[in-house]
Amino acid sequence: MSKINCFQSIITKLQSFWIDQGCVLLQPYDLEVGAGTFHPATILRVLGPDPIWKAAYVQPCRRPTDGRYGENPNRLQHYYQFQVIIQPSPEEIQNLYLESLKFIGLNPKDHDIRFVEDDWESPTLGASGLGWEIWCDGMEISQFTYFQQVGGIDVKPVASEITYGLERLAMFIQKLENVYDLDWDGIEKNKGGKTYGDIFLQQEKEFSIYNFEKSETSFLFKQFNDSETECKNLLNNKKYALALPAYHQCIKASHIFNLLDARGVISVSERQSYILRVRNMARSSCLAWMGKLNE
Amino acid sequence: MNRMDISRGNLLLEFFSEEIPARMQLNSEKQLKNLFIKSLTQREIDFESFKTYSGPRHLSIIIKNIELEQKDQKIEKRGPRFDAHQKAIDGFLKSNQLNLNETVIKDTKNGKFYFHSQMIKGKKTCEILPDIIHEIVNGFVWPKSQRWGFTDLRWARPLRNIVLLLNDDIVKGKIKIGKDVFLNFTNFTYSHRHIDKKITINKIKNYEQLLEDNLVIIDRNKRLQKIINDTSYLLEEEKLKLVDDKSLIEEVVGLVEYPNVLIGSISKKFMKLPREVLSTAMRVHQKYFSILDKKNNLVSKFLFVANSLKEKDRDFSVIEGNQRVLNARLSDASYFFENDITNTFENWNEKLKKVLFYEGLGSLHDKTIRMANISSNFAQAFGVKSELAKQATLLSKADLVSEMVTEFPELQGIMGGYYAKIKNKSDEISRAIFEHYKPKGISDNLPETNIGSLLSMVDKIDTLVGFFTIGKKPTGSKDPFALRRNGFSIAQILINWKLNMSLNEIIAPSLKEYVCSSQTIKLSLIEFMIDKLKFILSNQNNRIDVIESVLNTTIVKDLPIKAISSRIDIIMKFTKNNDFKIFLANFKRINNILKSEKFSNNAQFEVNIKFFETIEEENIYNFIDSFSKEIKKKGICKESQKVLITSLIKMNESISLFFDKVIVNHHNYNIKTNRLNLLKNLHNSISEFSSFKFIEN
Repeated sequence: MSKINCFQSIITKLQSFWIDQGCVLLQPYDLEVGAGTFHPATILRVLGPDPIWKAAYVQPCRRPTDGRYGENPNRLQHYYQFQVIIQPSPEEIQNLYLESLKFIGLNPKDHDIRFVEDDWESPTLGASGLGWEIWCDGMEISQFTYFQQVGGIDVKPVASEITYGLERLAMFIQKLENVYDLDWDGIEKNKGGKTYGDIFLQQEKEFSIYNFEKSETSFLFKQFNDSETECKNLLNNKKYALALPAYHQCIKASHIFNLLDARGVISVSERQSYILRVRNMARSSCLAWMGKLNE
Repeated sequence: MNRMDISRGNLLLEFFSEEIPARMQLNSEKQLKNLFIKSLTQREIDFESFKTYSGPRHLSIIIKNIELEQKDQKIEKRGPRFDAHQKAIDGFLKSNQLNLNETVIKDTKNGKFYFHSQMIKGKKTCEILPDIIHEIVNGFVWPKSQRWGFTDLRWARPLRNIVLLLNDDIVKGKIKIGKDVFLNFTNFTYSHRHIDKKITINKIKNYEQLLEDNLVIIDRNKRLQKIINDTSYLLEEEKLKLVDDKSLIEEVVGLVEYPNVLIGSISKKFMKLPREVLSTAMRVHQKYFSILDKKNNLVSKFLFVANSLKEKDRDFSVIEGNQRVLNARLSDASYFFENDITNTFENWNEKLKKVLFYEGLGSLHDKTIRMANISSNFAQAFGVKSELAKQATLLSKADLVSEMVTEFPELQGIMGGYYAKIKNKSDEISRAIFEHYKPKGISDNLPETNIGSLLSMVDKIDTLVGFFTIGKKPTGSKDPFALRRNGFSIAQILINWKLNMSLNEIIAPSLKEYVCSSQTIKLSLIEFMIDKLKFILSNQNNRIDVIESVLNTTIVKDLPIKAISSRIDIIMKFTKNNDFKIFLANFKRINNILKSEKFSNNAQFEVNIKFFETIEEENIYNFIDSFSKEIKKKGICKESQKVLITSLIKMNESISLFFDKVIVNHHNYNIKTNRLNLLKNLHNSISEFSSFKFIEN
């Protein structure tokens, strides 16, 4: 495998492509999140204050229930997304996306690219949008969403979100069937080169055990409640509602909920109420961000 | 119509947008047509014909020979009443700047009024079109729609361009889609992404061809036909065929602009997976078609439709890419399968305790227990051993928590069936679990085995009765738990098996499980089921009037389904019989006499033989007595329905004689009442067999 197609070069190329489109290049948010969308640079920024906002960043994502102890070639509880958020959604956004594929060495004219209906909804964020999953020769490599609502608030102007599934994309480019075989750095094995498995297989095994078997649920329940209380307190300060720290707690609670879910300790009837609690945190944080909490 | 008519021309309207979901396209064509025609008709602009097109990004209509000028419009204004105060009349004239002689007095249903009518010259169509397009765009209703950028307009996906040509010229104008955001009408559209260019439409008549030259087949039927032709071309040689999948093929037609049918191969190691797993994994996520050989076995190939021109190198790598994706999907499926077969039904059932069936209806585990408890009531009717039925019900929901079904919910039941077999449960049990979600709709097949039918039945009855007991029966158009479909499925099985059980017997055990003693709920369940039976029976070529007549008898809830069914059959057979026609006429005569008399609802209609004056009365009396006994004894028996209807017909002579010889309207009140009561009893007795008043001659 050459350096051109390795995992890290796909990231650097995407970064430079979107920088050229005027995006602010950011770094991952430093908390466990279920998707790049959770980053405040997406969720809060699309609600203002500036109607123009363009950002791009890599975001590690954690989905505890997707763990497979490193035994499944396609499923990970920890993986990477490359996230692009552009507001207002530009007229040529689809073409920009296709250009970006070309830029990383995937010429749309040599492939079967399809925009297949896939509407997005995040019950915990009170967010929804319409869009597609994008197929390249049958492989879903990206998600494309026109944000309509966040925190139950209409997004105006509408923002467009592009999420590249980096592992999927790299597997496609490198023509592989097993994620752990991905070439990370383009350096040959005998010269110290690393594959995705070299870096993450152990992590997948250990975290799958943690997520499904070992996490201490009584701690988690307490942490969830603590985050919720902290979030409320931060927003209750009438003079100075702290939207960003409050939202930070909301993200924490959301991940803890996912961990509890993976342990199977949340019954179907309780589930809805947990989702609602996170959604309320998200909505209040969003309103506080817009300065509209007490309106 | 004169095609060279210079007062007419052709029109093209195209909405070009980002990819519209496949499922919405066909309906959008219909809407475009309806909205356009409505707008034209309202404005009295005539046209000859139209054709609509739709694909992922193009939605268009061509209207042929549309008038270039609107017909002159007559505008009529109503003034005051003709006898109104002069002030009112003067006011009307003044405000419209009219003289009295420019008005007429007309009669309306509300009286006589002054009217003024005025002819307004019709406008040019090209001047009206911007308004019409505005109406169409804002009148469109999508199942789901969105805003984009700064727009307020909602469309299924961003609307990027509008072509509007009349007689090959651009119609000048634009529509507003947001504050300070407009879309101008243009004469260009866009090619397939592989060509990626803007194309100018010079002639409407070349529109379809122009797009096709640019790899957009805009006529969906043409795309469908191309897929069908290319498929048979590719499969014919090896005598293979596609698994029929109409809804998938229609979806695929909406996903491509230029269909390119390709075939890939499935790695042999996956062919040991159950065929339903293979085809579901292919269909649901990838929209691939399964392929069968002559013997209807799944072959290790799949067919899919790419969106491109045929081109060897590209096709090769597209196939390769798709094969890799499918391999990944199938190795996922294998992983689930391997994990599942090391699991146990006991473990799954334990998990079911934590899965809520519905708030107030317990867990899925509770559901299986209820099903098991009522299953014994059905065992005999289906000819199944009670113990076996119970076992099957207790295992039936386990697969819902298996990994495979969690991933592919549409494999519920099917996986349970496979896993039961692997776990050495009996063939009967495995088969029953496999098919117990059938029928999934009124056109789906029924379960084939008796135990599968039993299982399907108790599952559906438990669901139906459960939701009724918590007050969630369907109302109006709302049926969130698909209970109507559920009811139809129960009715289908009941009728197909001509079950020796009555509606009462079918529903009562389940109500008991829910500890529900409400007569209201029971009655509404029976009413609901009678309604479903009616529909299913009428779908099977039975005369609706005959169905109504039998289902409207008062004791129908206690009649075994098999008796209901054979009673309908026998009446249908007899409807052509002359004696039956006489009987029917007699019955209707009785019915009419009774209708004109007022009976208090609670009257006992007691007949006193001491008021009899004729032998004819006695004959009727005796008949009622013997028929009541006979129907009590034989009414529930499938084979006796013919005997019963024959007994009824044998009465023809007695009834005719009664009408000939006996005057019902006797001057003696007691005698008259007695005769009426006699007829009422006769009517009721016959109606236990069938409410013949429903039957048309």
